[in-house]
Amino acid sequence: MNAATDPRAPEREGLSPAKRWREADGVHIDVRGLSPPAPLVAILELVASIRDATPVIVHHERDPQMLYPELAELGWTAERIDAPAGEIRLKLERLA
Amino acid sequence: MKVAAGAFLAGAGSRLLPASIPFRFFGAAVTYHLLAWLALLAGADALPRFAGGLGWALAALHLITLGVLGTAAIGASLQLLPVATRRPLGSRLWPALIWWVYSPGVAAVALGMGTASPWLLAGGAVAVSAALAAYVLLLARNLLGARGMPSVVAHGWAAVVSLLVLIATGLSLACAYAGAPGLQRGTALALHVVFAVYGFMGMLALGLSYILVPMFALSGAPSERAALTSCALAALALVLAGAAALDIAPRALRVAAIATGAAAVALHLNLMVSALRTGLRRELGRSFRLVRIAWGMLALSFALGLAVALDAPYDGVAMLFGMTAVAGWLLTFLLGILQRIVPFLASMHAPRGKGLPPTPSALTDDRSLAIHYFCHLGALALLALSVIADNPWAGRAAAGVGAAGAASFCVFFAIAIRRMGRGAVAGRARTAAAS
Repeated sequence: MNAATDPRAPEREGLSPAKRWREADGVHIDVRGLSPPAPLVAILELVASIRDATPVIVHHERDPQMLYPELAELGWTAERIDAPAGEIRLKLERLA
Repeated sequence: MKVAAGAFLAGAGSRLLPASIPFRFFGAAVTYHLLAWLALLAGADALPRFAGGLGWALAALHLITLGVLGTAAIGASLQLLPVATRRPLGSRLWPALIWWVYSPGVAAVALGMGTASPWLLAGGAVAVSAALAAYVLLLARNLLGARGMPSVVAHGWAAVVSLLVLIATGLSLACAYAGAPGLQRGTALALHVVFAVYGFMGMLALGLSYILVPMFALSGAPSERAALTSCALAALALVLAGAAALDIAPRALRVAAIATGAAAVALHLNLMVSALRTGLRRELGRSFRLVRIAWGMLALSFALGLAVALDAPYDGVAMLFGMTAVAGWLLTFLLGILQRIVPFLASMHAPRGKGLPPTPSALTDDRSLAIHYFCHLGALALLALSVIADNPWAGRAAAGVGAAGAASFCVFFAIAIRRMGRGAVAGRARTAAAS
């Protein structure tokens, strides 16, 4: 879901310029249009702020290759999920 | 599609090169690092007052510049620039071909210098130049289609132009030993030094820092406007230094170049320190202690460069300047960054199987890096002592300690590669432990 068309108002939290909002499947973050390393920083900032098992849904315009080692270091995994054409959507979850 | 982090990296449009490409460049760089210190051991007699000329001291210098700095810069830029430009490199064959021509070429250049064999040196220089020319084309093609990070792209273009000057002057100097006509030696040498250290390597180091430092510190992107201003000042400094090398008001333009370059670096370092101060990751360990030391050495190199430009009445000042800029700044910076990049890339490339990827920290052998850290800093101090005291024995000690550190860095690299190959096993073991 594109945050721009989301009827729920997108939030901006922390230092990140990325849009964040909450849905039933987890906390969403849209980092499209940001220059490296802003998407990486925004996603990791969000992941680091989550204390429970809430998943994070990432809306990205490209495969965030630099993210994976950092996620692994924090004990999170990434799962690619269905997304509209032109978007890469990831579901991030903390390891059990 | 359920995948562990990083399992879908190598798609057709991926900007991540196959592991074999960056790691073959990094592997050659760490090997040449060890060989450079060994060459210096052989040429330590000439070290304290080295002023050029064939021999093992010159070979050691070029094993560092071409062998370590150049090789690692090619590998790192081919991997990182596509991230900044948002454009895949478009070729996997050319980087491999470049490595196959460049690496033996560097060995031939070093052997030709060490054994005073002009034809071997000239042959090596032709091979290195051909490989660098192919690299320039790859780089330029990627930069031409850039769609992001204008400051990194601008630094990339400055590095491309500098590399063209470097190739021309390097070929001229090398072929002059074999009797071929070329540029006047003093002019070629002055251009060669400036455009190698502050041009090609310097601009790449400054430019790629705008990706790497925020990425490792987990900070926001530095101000594009400030980064572009720093780049413009640095490029202007290169132009002024180039004009001085061509004998146009040499003293005044050298001083102007140093002042302009120092302003560029001050702006750059301010952005870097700000990134480190505001990043989510505050503790960056030994690698960034090396990076901070390198930044200090970069600033010091301008002070020493000024002393050289003003003909300071001390005959070791040119050697101290060269050592500070090449070993203190560029080599220390590269080794600090490389010890973060290697495990990071290895984690991205580790085979997954059904398991989880190994983390960068699990791929890092900290003990070998600790040994390298103390040996490297000890070697730098001994090198300075050798010049200040005009003592070749201190130079020999520096080479021995430096070689021990370089060997330890090779161990770190080999362990990272071995653990990367076992990634799937490690991942499966961790999955089993977690379940």
